[in-house]
Amino acid sequence: MNLLHYLAQFIIPIARAQETAASGNPAAALGVDWRLFVAQLINFGILLFVLWKWAFVPIAKKLEERTAKIEKSLHDADRIEKEKREFENWRQAEIIKTRQEASAVVTAAQSEAQKAKQQIAAETKAEQEKIVAQAKQQIDSEKNRSIAEAKSEIANLVTAAAEKILRKKLDAKADQELIKESLKSI
Amino acid sequence: MAAIPPLAAEPIFHISRLPVTNSYINSTLTLFGFIVFIIFLNAGIKKYYSKSRAPKGIVNFFEGVLEFMLGYFDQVTHDRKKSVKFLPVVGTLFLFILVSNWIGLLPGINSVIIHRGAETLPLFRPADTDLNLTLAMAVFAVAISHILGVATIGFFRYANRFIKLGDLYQAVKSLKPVNILTAIVEFFVGIIEIFSEIAKMVSLSLRLFGNIFAGEVLMTVLAGLIPYLVPLPFMALELLVGLIQAVVFTMLALVYLTMATTDTHGHAEIDGHSGHAEAEENQVPAV
Repeated sequence: MNLLHYLAQFIIPIARAQETAASGNPAAALGVDWRLFVAQLINFGILLFVLWKWAFVPIAKKLEERTAKIEKSLHDADRIEKEKREFENWRQAEIIKTRQEASAVVTAAQSEAQKAKQQIAAETKAEQEKIVAQAKQQIDSEKNRSIAEAKSEIANLVTAAAEKILRKKLDAKADQELIKESLKSI
Repeated sequence: MAAIPPLAAEPIFHISRLPVTNSYINSTLTLFGFIVFIIFLNAGIKKYYSKSRAPKGIVNFFEGVLEFMLGYFDQVTHDRKKSVKFLPVVGTLFLFILVSNWIGLLPGINSVIIHRGAETLPLFRPADTDLNLTLAMAVFAVAISHILGVATIGFFRYANRFIKLGDLYQAVKSLKPVNILTAIVEFFVGIIEIFSEIAKMVSLSLRLFGNIFAGEVLMTVLAGLIPYLVPLPFMALELLVGLIQAVVFTMLALVYLTMATTDTHGHAEIDGHSGHAEAEENQVPAV
């Protein structure tokens, strides 16, 4: 009973309000008043203006800027990574190329040196042979000349000796013949 | 024993002819609270943004709130640009409704009593338990959706949604009887659309008012019956209701804004959109 009595206290005013709503203007029963409506609209308008100008717009702008910045950074990072990879590939290729070139140069130099060595050896041999040949020739001619000189020297000596020995016994004619004979026998 | 709150907010005093009601006091206090918050926020913005440092504290918090809201808005608008464009209006609605709903649950609201002769009046009353405020917000939301609609797709194209003289003219020009008949039916549907715009405002405002007011009545009754412990779970539920109603109001306002600013080509799309909106409208009151 007590509870019912208590609840009735709440229900009766609601029923009364419904009566007012049914009989008169429902908006008035709900408390709609144009002055309050305008006042609340102004309150809301002020709040909207304040939040718009000093909260939503600057922060939303900043958020967008930050998004753009992060996207750019990520894009840049990708690009840098790609460039780094490309550079690395290029570097590797370049190293391989350089090595190949270097080994080619070394091989060429070696073969060049070999060739030069062989050539020098061949030239040296030819020179030696030439010198030897010249020396032989010189020796030969020297020998011949010495022999000829020696012959004439000997002939003179023999003549002189024969003259000394035969001066008195032979005449000029016999002398000449004698000389000739002795020369032939040499 | 606290009396059950009446449907209309009670005037506490008058400023010339404006009756300052307890709900109006609450809404103004909420406004001041927001202004103080904005002052601190701007101090933070100056501190962190000018030197492009990573934001901390209040700025970081508000950035988080914005990101959270924008994430939900994107689900409705499917376009971040549009979400950002609607953010000030819709975000203000959400924050204001949410904060005033939750402030209404603080101790002292409805329990600080002033005596005037024989009757006693609570000095504070949750802002959203005054139909004037909810109606003001609903009218504002629907009005801004129409203004943005006209600004986005042009006055005549927008007017053609409600007074379909353009479609009627096209149908008559095509000289096909079926088309003309459809256009006439569509013309009357367009006139009904005008009433649906009024229904939007009424449903938005009454839904919010009714839910929060019912919560207040429930809390009062429970507190009168068993004042200790038992109201606590209901208090938690009221926290949830406050959030849900803020979300519902905001999302519907956003749907109206999105629909109004979407340029539709042909009847099929228009029908599709209004059907979508009706579906949302029907789902939401169940909450």
